[in-house]
Amino acid sequence: MNTRDLVLIALFAAIVVVLGLIPPITLGFIPVPITAQSMGVMLAGCILGAKRGALAFLLFLLLVAIGLPVLSGGRGGLAVLAGPSGGFIIGWVVATFVTGLIAERTVREGQAETRQFIGFFLASVLGGIVVLYAIGMPWVSAVTGTPLLTVATGSLAFIPGDLLKAAIATLAARAVYAGYPLLPARA
Amino acid sequence: MLTSLHIEGDSFMHRLPVRAKLVALVVLSVGLFLSASLAVQAIAFVIAAALYLSVGLSLKEALKRVGFVFLTIFFLAAVNLFYLSVAEVATLTLRLMALVLFAAAVTATTTISAFMDEIAILLLPLERLGWLKAADVSLALGLVLRFVPDIFARYEAIREAHRARGLPVRPLTIIGPLIILTLKDADTIAAAIDARGFRRQ
Repeated sequence: MNTRDLVLIALFAAIVVVLGLIPPITLGFIPVPITAQSMGVMLAGCILGAKRGALAFLLFLLLVAIGLPVLSGGRGGLAVLAGPSGGFIIGWVVATFVTGLIAERTVREGQAETRQFIGFFLASVLGGIVVLYAIGMPWVSAVTGTPLLTVATGSLAFIPGDLLKAAIATLAARAVYAGYPLLPARA
Repeated sequence: MLTSLHIEGDSFMHRLPVRAKLVALVVLSVGLFLSASLAVQAIAFVIAAALYLSVGLSLKEALKRVGFVFLTIFFLAAVNLFYLSVAEVATLTLRLMALVLFAAAVTATTTISAFMDEIAILLLPLERLGWLKAADVSLALGLVLRFVPDIFARYEAIREAHRARGLPVRPLTIIGPLIILTLKDADTIAAAIDARGFRRQ
């Protein structure tokens, strides 16, 4: 790995920390405030690609594990990982990898803008929502004993918010892609 | 800005070696999941709670640190009451609470550098395979701690710029510039690291 990739990974992990410090955004039509940090998975995958994105989140996970309060709301430490939603936090790494993998394969320079939007959105939804829940929900079910189907039904409440995050991440990723493309130079 | 959750002290948990604490945490999490006995979980819970309260946190701070996780646990326990017997729910809830309390006690009594020493040892096999260098991990960690305040200051500058122009502060118009401005520094920082020969390559 060259030094530039190492720095990009560290800077992105730092961006994810800062996204956790930003006060949650309330949108008129959705009752739950949106934490900017939860968009980090989609953004990291779409902007840095699979390998560097996943490493950025691995680094972020390390920050959580060694006791830095880097999760939104000032949470952190091993206690969060030991709790019921620990699977979602660990799942971030895999979810970012998948998001990056799809983005790398669907988005190319010189494509029509709409196709790039579709590519980033697809990557964000499949990686940042489908893969993340596929890891997080069985974890909740295994740890708490709640039947998987119930966990899945309950999680449906978060899907509209997640789709909105995917849309914001898509627009932001495409803006970064236009302004400072990093995705093509795969690490 | 990023202060560790570690607190100074001289409790039993502080005096235990880091490795012992981490091994105990792993053994506890595997052990408690293998046991279905309510008594075992209850004993583990009492011990974990006693250890956590002995590390020297004020009661308010101690509750604040685990409050959010406990809220999730209680919510899921309430849901579980529809599906499982009360004894089963009690077992599951006590187990999770015991684990969370013990993990919080480990976090509160271990410094970042102590954690990093253990991580360097865990990374040794990967280093031998040539997959990564433990020094790179420490460097990356240092970079994060170094740049979080800078990036946060940049966020505030962008927010102020929005206000000055009378624009609403929207996530979209903030995140794009924040990421581009931050990542554009990567080349300069990488050049600075290489110029100092930190990575010896």
